[in-house]
Amino acid sequence: MFERRLYHHLDWALLIALLALCALGSTTIYSATFDPSHGSSHRYIVQLYAIGLGLMAMLVTVTFDYRNFTDKSHLFYIAMVVILLAVLIPGIGHEGKGARRWIDLGSFNLQPSEFAKIGVALVLAKYFGDNRGAPQRTDLLVAAGLTLLPFLLIAREPDLGTAVTLLPIFLAVAYLAGMQMRILGIMLLACVLVAPVAWKFALKDYQKSRIVTFIDPSQDAKGAGYQQIQARITVGSGGLSGKGFKQGTQGQLRFLPEVDNDFIFSVLAEEQGFAGVLVALGLYLFVILRSIEAARLAKDRLGSYLVIGVLASFTFQVVYNITMSAGLAPVKGLTLPLMSYGGSSMIATLAAFGLVLNVRMRRFTN
Amino acid sequence: MVATEDRRRVGSRLQILQTLLFVVFAILGLCFWVLQIVQHEKFEEMAENNHQRTLALRAPRGIVFDRDMQVLVVNRHSYSISIDREHTKDLDHTIQLLAAALKVPEASVREIVDRHRREPAYRPITILQDASLAQVAAVSARRLDTELQGVVIMEVPTRQYPAESMAAHLFGYVGEVSDRDVADGAAKSGDIVGQSGIEKIYNQLLMGTDGARRVVVNSVGREIRTLDEESPVEGRRVQLTIDLDLQKAVDDAFKATPFNGAAVILQPKDGAVLALTSLPAYDPNAFAAGIDRATWASLNTDELRPLSDRAIQGRYSPGSTFKMAVALAALEEGIVTPDFKVYCPGHANFYGREFKCSAAGGHGAIDMRHAIEKSCDVYFYTVGNMLGVDKINKWATLLGLGVKSGIDLPNEVQGLVPSTEWKREKLGQKWYAGETISVAIGQGQVSVTPVSLAVYMATLANGGTRVTPHLLKAIDDGNGWTPAPTPPPQSTIDIDPEKLQAIRDGMWMVVNGAGTGGTARIAGRDVSGKTGTAQVISNTGRAQARTTKNLRDHGWFVFFAPRDNPQIAGVVFAEHGIHGGNAARIAHHILDTFFAKQDGRPLPPPPTDLHLDMSDPMARRQGTESGRAE
Repeated sequence: MFERRLYHHLDWALLIALLALCALGSTTIYSATFDPSHGSSHRYIVQLYAIGLGLMAMLVTVTFDYRNFTDKSHLFYIAMVVILLAVLIPGIGHEGKGARRWIDLGSFNLQPSEFAKIGVALVLAKYFGDNRGAPQRTDLLVAAGLTLLPFLLIAREPDLGTAVTLLPIFLAVAYLAGMQMRILGIMLLACVLVAPVAWKFALKDYQKSRIVTFIDPSQDAKGAGYQQIQARITVGSGGLSGKGFKQGTQGQLRFLPEVDNDFIFSVLAEEQGFAGVLVALGLYLFVILRSIEAARLAKDRLGSYLVIGVLASFTFQVVYNITMSAGLAPVKGLTLPLMSYGGSSMIATLAAFGLVLNVRMRRFTN
Repeated sequence: MVATEDRRRVGSRLQILQTLLFVVFAILGLCFWVLQIVQHEKFEEMAENNHQRTLALRAPRGIVFDRDMQVLVVNRHSYSISIDREHTKDLDHTIQLLAAALKVPEASVREIVDRHRREPAYRPITILQDASLAQVAAVSARRLDTELQGVVIMEVPTRQYPAESMAAHLFGYVGEVSDRDVADGAAKSGDIVGQSGIEKIYNQLLMGTDGARRVVVNSVGREIRTLDEESPVEGRRVQLTIDLDLQKAVDDAFKATPFNGAAVILQPKDGAVLALTSLPAYDPNAFAAGIDRATWASLNTDELRPLSDRAIQGRYSPGSTFKMAVALAALEEGIVTPDFKVYCPGHANFYGREFKCSAAGGHGAIDMRHAIEKSCDVYFYTVGNMLGVDKINKWATLLGLGVKSGIDLPNEVQGLVPSTEWKREKLGQKWYAGETISVAIGQGQVSVTPVSLAVYMATLANGGTRVTPHLLKAIDDGNGWTPAPTPPPQSTIDIDPEKLQAIRDGMWMVVNGAGTGGTARIAGRDVSGKTGTAQVISNTGRAQARTTKNLRDHGWFVFFAPRDNPQIAGVVFAEHGIHGGNAARIAHHILDTFFAKQDGRPLPPPPTDLHLDMSDPMARRQGTESGRAE
């Protein structure tokens, strides 16, 4: 349980950086959803509630020694798989925007796939942490299987974007655990070889068109390429100091969709300019580097793996979303952790960083 | 030892990850720097094009007043519907939906778009002017659910002309500028400019300067707010010399007859046009908001040619109204005196041909005054023969016949008073003296426009000044009214007052004596005038084709009043009016209204029955080759 002295080892700097990003996100949500004719939307309030809930979840994940969590990781994992299965069942899973991703909990919808990232990070940390030395081929196969099961369940929803965020967890943890670079190379090669097959059989038409338009946005300037062009215009028109709070035209006038969600960083770039972008990028980089620091300081490999597992999907999502916000990556429904509007993501992300704080805080305990 | 080895590996791999992330974030920062700083201007412009739209604010054309500041032409609000291609995602689809919403054929919408396709995309293409409220509602409803986001509804000022096509040819009409005028740089594409009448002649005054409004629109094309606005400058307000009451009187009088025709009423001292009518007319309001194809086609193919302004573009034989020109020529050339008498037996022989007089029994011995009064053809055959065609031409021209009047209306045509030189130049033939006989009574090759006859009357009324008829009285340039300068007269002749008086006396007797113009008489006003009849076809052709209305003779009445110090001069042309007397009946109502207004009496009500003489006199004159007059 929580010991008084641990309080002094809590990484306040990381916590403050996290809260700063949450505040930046809420402010941008407020600005992006502000409608001069109807006043402010309630979305930023919902987001503040989510931050509150997230901090409570963080309190839970900080309070108990992280080894308590990893020891029970198989239970979490099983529970996670059951819930992900449940989501796919009509009647339990709540449908929206053509996908079944949510569970209706009355007052709000829960998106289990967001929590799956923690589940996978815990189980992989535990699995690799128990081994000594570099992982064998069988270890890697088991770990890959543990990742692919939730991956496939989430991809079935369908929510390929969130599913893909599970892969960096496996790669990062396996890498840190000493996976040979040769195997990493083979995996990359396999991806390249599989890509054309996947293109032909696995990808849906809308996914293909997204990739095609990414390569040449002007080909479909009013359709799928539209968002990408608009994203660039949004970011580019922001300039050095931005158009000002609530003064963005691209976001305010809805030339860009999902302004409080997928494209929140574009709105930030438009309204706060390059200066705002540097602040946000700096905060994210700080959070990531501080977490890597936590991984280094961890008293055991288990802790390092857990931190890196959690951090991997976070970092992947941050980098991809920001690239997409600038119109430099195909449009994919991936939110920006800590800033985008979304309760499940916020709670899961803060809970995950609770584990990061946890590992660092208990670096001296036995 | 495995543990320390593990630890070392974790440390170095974390270091690699850390470096990698540094690089990734540096690249991200660089990307944003390129987009936001290096390419900022380009994207800023694109963002502006996205959400800013410039709407043209059409300037209202200048209001037109009559001489008493009664409103003639105003503007009303109408709605036009345009396509803004810059904000249209799928032009084809938009055209389809718009045509359905407006309930117009898709092909016609497509045709309009095609016509403007080469213009810059930011300039909206007007699809429909003066849309009905139902059409505006249909489009706005669909615009809300984002289907028609590139479609703009604009409130535009539209010309409103007086009801019942009054003075339509005088005002003219407006329409979209032609491609040729755009090429000339006189206007820009899509401008509404005057196409005829004063709208055309004074277009520069009336047009005004369009304004512009920059608005912010959202992604579905809804206007959010106005950024800035450059107000349109209304066209100059213009006062015409027209007298609305008199103009109405002309129209009312014509309405009481079955005739089409024309009338031009002038102020003899300076040529100010008090009224100008041409019938049949068109409704200029139909043009104001873009005329539809069917109406335009029917106006163009109508046999009665409603688009032609008979007052300045119709050329007709003047008939007996020409006699005063011959009389003046004879007097001024010193060939005869007013007391010179001719014996009229009812016919006369010149150069081996028999010419008949208007009165079969003849007028006996008759002097000039009575020859005018009774319209004795033999008298004028004789005098004309003594004059020769060139002297007739000279004096007719000085009186304004056979030349353009110079009125400030577009496309005036020129009449013709023949001369030996004209015949040699145009036909390459010698003039035969026998041809002069017909010319002397306004037949043969003589042709005049109604407006030139009005100038002729004004010149006789004012003592020899061939005034230029004009419509512009004053202009309000925004700082109050400035009178427009009176155009200088075309020519001035010194007429011996005594000789002129003889002609005026003859004309006075036409109306107040035993003449043919008695129907124009107004007690105490000394109306002086002359009737005339213009043959539509030769007498031989007439015998077979007499039944149809459109072969009946035209009736003329030219006049001024009062005889001494005339205040009003003019002409009434009754197309297929059979008798000049019928035209004189129309003139009566005009004169009655004029004097009532001058005296401040209540204006006479619109006539209901003018007691027209519809008997066709042609039967008794059948078989004659000669000209004739009343």
